[in-house]
Amino acid sequence: MDKKRLREWLDQFQSYRHGVGETAVRSWLDQFDTGDRDLAARVLDAVEFYGNDRITAAFRDMLNAIPGWSAKPAQRKGKWRFVPYSRSSGTSAGSMIYNFRLANNLDARKWDELFIHPSEIAIQALGPDDTIVFVDDLVATGNQVCDAWTETFAELVGNAGRVYLMVVAAVRKARAKIKGETEILIVSQDNLGPRDDLFSADCGSFSSAEKATLLRYGEKADPERPRGYGGCGLVVVFQHRCPNNSVPILHARNGRWDGLFQRHG
Amino acid sequence: MKSRELSIKPIGLKNIRTETLRANPHNPRGLFDREDMRVLRESIDRVGILVPLTVYQDSKTGHFTILDGQRRWMCAKELKLKTVPVNQVAEPTLVQNIVTMFQIHKLRKDWELMPTALKLELLMKQLKEKRDRVLGELTGLDEAVVTRCKKLLSYSRKYQDMMLDPEPDNRMKADFFIELYAVRNDRAVRSFAWFKPDRFTDAMLRKFKVGGLKAVTDFRIVKQHVNNAIKAHKTGVISKRLQEFAADPELTPDHLSIESAMAASQARKLAKTVDKLYVQVKDIDLDEFYGQEDLWEKLQALADLIRKRLRQLGRRVEE
Repeated sequence: MDKKRLREWLDQFQSYRHGVGETAVRSWLDQFDTGDRDLAARVLDAVEFYGNDRITAAFRDMLNAIPGWSAKPAQRKGKWRFVPYSRSSGTSAGSMIYNFRLANNLDARKWDELFIHPSEIAIQALGPDDTIVFVDDLVATGNQVCDAWTETFAELVGNAGRVYLMVVAAVRKARAKIKGETEILIVSQDNLGPRDDLFSADCGSFSSAEKATLLRYGEKADPERPRGYGGCGLVVVFQHRCPNNSVPILHARNGRWDGLFQRHG
Repeated sequence: MKSRELSIKPIGLKNIRTETLRANPHNPRGLFDREDMRVLRESIDRVGILVPLTVYQDSKTGHFTILDGQRRWMCAKELKLKTVPVNQVAEPTLVQNIVTMFQIHKLRKDWELMPTALKLELLMKQLKEKRDRVLGELTGLDEAVVTRCKKLLSYSRKYQDMMLDPEPDNRMKADFFIELYAVRNDRAVRSFAWFKPDRFTDAMLRKFKVGGLKAVTDFRIVKQHVNNAIKAHKTGVISKRLQEFAADPELTPDHLSIESAMAASQARKLAKTVDKLYVQVKDIDLDEFYGQEDLWEKLQALADLIRKRLRQLGRRVEE
């Protein structure tokens, strides 16, 4: 294996929550047939890794871009409340909120009143001048966001004037779905398109034959979702977790496969 | 607050443009049965909207907001009707609006109980009203549903959030917390020195995840074991067992079964049965039952068995 390439992966992935070392990378590659290992290595090259620095910068940029926000209460329009969106895998929303607070210098106790639990939204009785900002890492299909809005959040949010969902990355199709079916305004740093779906015809990083080979390994890693949850085919990894919308060869862990980016445990 | 103070004041009937209306932000559900919607749409297509929608004009945004008639409005939009008939009422207060939404959507599904509970919490705060019966009357919710909601509200926000998780696989059902409530709030359990409600709840969540609890109704078995042990004066033993049960996620409720406590409970039940039988046998009119051979034979067999069991127990038995 090219040592320089290995070093680049380790430099990039070492901050992953479960740690990614040389042994783990070598073991992961060994799961591929000898002739497919270069292809596997190119998947690692293609991984879009979001370390804390990148996430923090994204949250800073995004909050500053929302109209009406100011750290100075007198210059802020209405009440603002920031809410972790989901408790999903590895308490990602909790991590997100922590990063969000650090990124925007809102980590001191005096800012605590701005940060609430999802279950505290209704009791706030927010009005048309007020703003709720849900914070999470990724919107991939938009299905859960739309369902949860209809079943739960629309009622809890009540009369709040504006409801944002701030995420580090969002798939464009999901954005369109959420825009069409809910009153949520999506704010995302990176927008992912068809080229970011490893199996899409628009993805030029791999040939059709290579995509078929990767799908075969995907079926081994997760027979039910060989392209990742929602068929998204993403190669996105956040420092605090690998989303299940990414291809399972990256994260699945079972008797058949040992993913490099463990999601649980 | 009296119910009539919460009623909506009418302004008048008129037609307004369909596109100027907006859904009520406090409407609990945007999901409607597709078949019902199809039938309503066909009806409106044939004869129009016969019952005007109830709307109010929001003083801050100027929007006409629907109080009642969201399904008719959705059908009108699908049918591209330019205007809809409305009955405009005065803008309701927050409480009036929530109460109206409760009344319209009183048939809410249990699996979505947490959002209902949180809306009820807001209503309780606004009205400073906590009585189940009054809240039931105001909202149209069954009093038992109000009680269930209040049980959910007794948990800390961390657990309430678990019932709101957007990811269905991660979302905890309200029933888990409602069934756990009886154990978590048991007076004896709360007096155990080691017991901390949230730690115990965390332990039960872990246990539910790994299979130490097969169903949420297992908490009823846990409660029964606790009750039996307390009645049998085995408080120390059940405290220790329950602590072990909480510490090891794989231990099942059988671990809480204390034989002597079980026996004591069964003995009390049997003693009650014996008391009843004693009275019944004592009251038998011998002349009237003289020919009931089957009964006398069974009583003879029972008397023999009782003597035998008493002798086995070392008791002196007179013939």
